Amino acid sequence: MRHFIGKRAFASGLSLIGLVVLVFFLSRLTGDPTALFLPLDASLDSRERFRELHGLNDPLLVQFAHYVWDILNLDFGDSIRKARPALEVVLAAFQWTLILALTTIFFVTTSAIIIGSLAAFYAGGIFDRVATFLSLIGASAPDFWIAIVAIVLFSVNLGWLPTSGTGTIWHWIMPVAVLFIRPFGLVLQVVRGSMMTALSSAYVKTARAKGVRVRPIIFVHALRNALLPVITVIGDLSAGMLNGAVVVETIFGFPGVGKLMIDSILQRDFTVVLAAIMVSAMAIFLMNLLIDIAYSVLDPRIRY
Amino acid sequence: MRKLSLGLLGASFALTMMAPALAEDTDVTIVLSEELDLIDPCMASQSNIGRVVLQNISETMTELDGSGGGLKPRLAESWEPVDSDTWRFKLRQGVKFSDGTSFGAEDVAHSLKRVVAEELVCEIGAKYFGGSTITTEIIDEHTIEITSDPAQPIMPLQLSGLTIVPSETLMEYTREPIGTGPYQLSEWNVGQNVILTRRDDYWGETPAVTKATYVFRSDDAVRAAMVATGEADFAPKISELDATNPATDFAYPNSETVYLRLDTMIAPLNDIRVRQALNLAIDREAFIGTIIPAEAILATAIVPPSTIGWNADLAVPAFDLDKARALLAEAKADGVPVDAEITLIGRTSNFANVTEVMEALLAMYQDAGFNMKLEMYEVAEWLDFYSQPFAEDRGPQIIEAMHDNAKGDPVFSMYFKYASEGLQSALRDSKVDQMIADATAATGDERTKIWSDLFAYLQDEIAADVQLFHMVGFSRVAERLDFTPTIATNSEIQLSQIGFK
Repeated sequence: MRHFIGKRAFASGLSLIGLVVLVFFLSRLTGDPTALFLPLDASLDSRERFRELHGLNDPLLVQFAHYVWDILNLDFGDSIRKARPALEVVLAAFQWTLILALTTIFFVTTSAIIIGSLAAFYAGGIFDRVATFLSLIGASAPDFWIAIVAIVLFSVNLGWLPTSGTGTIWHWIMPVAVLFIRPFGLVLQVVRGSMMTALSSAYVKTARAKGVRVRPIIFVHALRNALLPVITVIGDLSAGMLNGAVVVETIFGFPGVGKLMIDSILQRDFTVVLAAIMVSAMAIFLMNLLIDIAYSVLDPRIRY
Repeated sequence: MRKLSLGLLGASFALTMMAPALAEDTDVTIVLSEELDLIDPCMASQSNIGRVVLQNISETMTELDGSGGGLKPRLAESWEPVDSDTWRFKLRQGVKFSDGTSFGAEDVAHSLKRVVAEELVCEIGAKYFGGSTITTEIIDEHTIEITSDPAQPIMPLQLSGLTIVPSETLMEYTREPIGTGPYQLSEWNVGQNVILTRRDDYWGETPAVTKATYVFRSDDAVRAAMVATGEADFAPKISELDATNPATDFAYPNSETVYLRLDTMIAPLNDIRVRQALNLAIDREAFIGTIIPAEAILATAIVPPSTIGWNADLAVPAFDLDKARALLAEAKADGVPVDAEITLIGRTSNFANVTEVMEALLAMYQDAGFNMKLEMYEVAEWLDFYSQPFAEDRGPQIIEAMHDNAKGDPVFSMYFKYASEGLQSALRDSKVDQMIADATAATGDERTKIWSDLFAYLQDEIAADVQLFHMVGFSRVAERLDFTPTIATNSEIQLSQIGFK
């Protein structure tokens, strides 16, 4: 296992280096941040001074060499717009994204596994039809629409929940719920499909013939074998969420890393973009590692 | 017992998390569209920073009355010209900064030095003092002389943009702004809110608002909903579509003017008949109340009507398609290449419905016989077309732009937009250059008249550009507040002007 983790870390490190090089040069192609930082009528002198101050007049390769040297010294540089360390800016935003993503994934996983398993067991029945219908609606509905409708309904009309923000636990209900709906629909369908295959296996039939009760059959015997594809899908969804939930963060005023990254790209705040990509990439690497470990725990045949 | 304790602890934590903090009746919450990147007073000319900092934390030497009252004293009690390039300012006595230090001439000198310092790029320095060399002489603790090279007759007006910081403020961006204003920064929870609290030792009248919390939501509908539900008291910027409640929603002139800049150096736009045809070919009225708010005003100049020298005698060019076509035919007969393809360049997200407006303009121009295409760019790319140096091999271009002048004097616009050396000017006219120089140097009625004549010359005699609309903003104010947004709301929200019903 240690060897496997080492190999994975090495491969991820190489990907990360490639990503940083690519993003560094591609981001520079998008233009000069001077135009966005200074007022339109700022003099050419002021613009020149800004470029000089932030090293934007140096040749691109010199800028890259400075950047690499700084990273080797664990210095990600300062945000041009926020005048503070880029890594500090990103980590402050990432903690919000992490909590939002983990909370949502927890609810998605538990509810989709329970409901999807039952739907598979009672395949073709009312419960299955209702669960499938609702999950397909959920998987098809756009986040921004659900978010706005939820605000109009639960905040403006009913007055039950605050429209946005992060102050209390009530503020988290709508963002988590909106973020929950689409992945829930998708994971539920995967659980249902995978469970139907598992439930039709010979060992399940044998268990039923031996008189094993329903609950152990579903949640002990069949589920463990059905979980591998489910974990793959959840891992993929989690990676997306760790990159930030831009729509939800924008509408609900969540200071997460997705909105930060989009704003930083639009404002050409290169150091923040690069730091955000590094942090997200590290998080995704760790999560993929956890998923690989989960595979081997669930299926003893998988050995690294 | 242990379980009980843990349970009680958990319950108390949950209650704390669930209970919103209790607010006093005189606390207000203001929801802004953009989060603050910085909170340095020298960046307060950025609207999102200015709405928090200007005249709340940091005060200026003078103040332009947004309701049309002209220039008023603030930290300067009086001012007078010493000679053509020097002004003497008598400062208010007994004023203290929020850190307890006294305000004096040293602070004014340091503030002026700081906004143009090379160590940090300040927007106020770039916006109001770019291209000038400012020197100061401290006469006594409460008297200072400020000299500008070149001479600047509107120095007192320029100083309405200069935020004053203590002389100890470092030449780097500060995260803890100290000012003389009626409020001080008490909390900045990055990503969540900024909280200002009222000072007890403020030199002026005690304002009614005790605490202001600024929160940030980028979605228009959410900002409007926050005021509707009582989560916020004021949203200075909401969408026109959300401004549906006459009791809380206000349209206000936001000091922005939309216009089309014509590149008069390139054929066929260097021909006055073509430029006149561009003015006559569009039905400006058709936009108002459809894709431009009904409260917007048709423009005849790049500055709003509250600016000195704004020429009330100028008429909006009539929509006359036949005349436009006739002018084009006349120019063509004289060998002007009117069939050359003109690029109409718009800026995405510049204002609501900008794409629709540009498409409608394109259709109107094509209807008049222009060979035109439309290209939309985001701000950084668009600026490459709008600002000098212009590309040598460019074709004829018309650039859509929106210009903001809330300062009441055209000097903040005219040089940049129309002088031959102006950063965003595509006009080369020596008479215009002279008039701008004369107006900049003049004072009083003479200044007003020159600006007024310049506006007439630009529109009626040389058709320098195509003026379109003086825009409006929409805001939502909770019914419990006694506050009406003005043209100044685009750049500042003075908490001291907010009352309660």
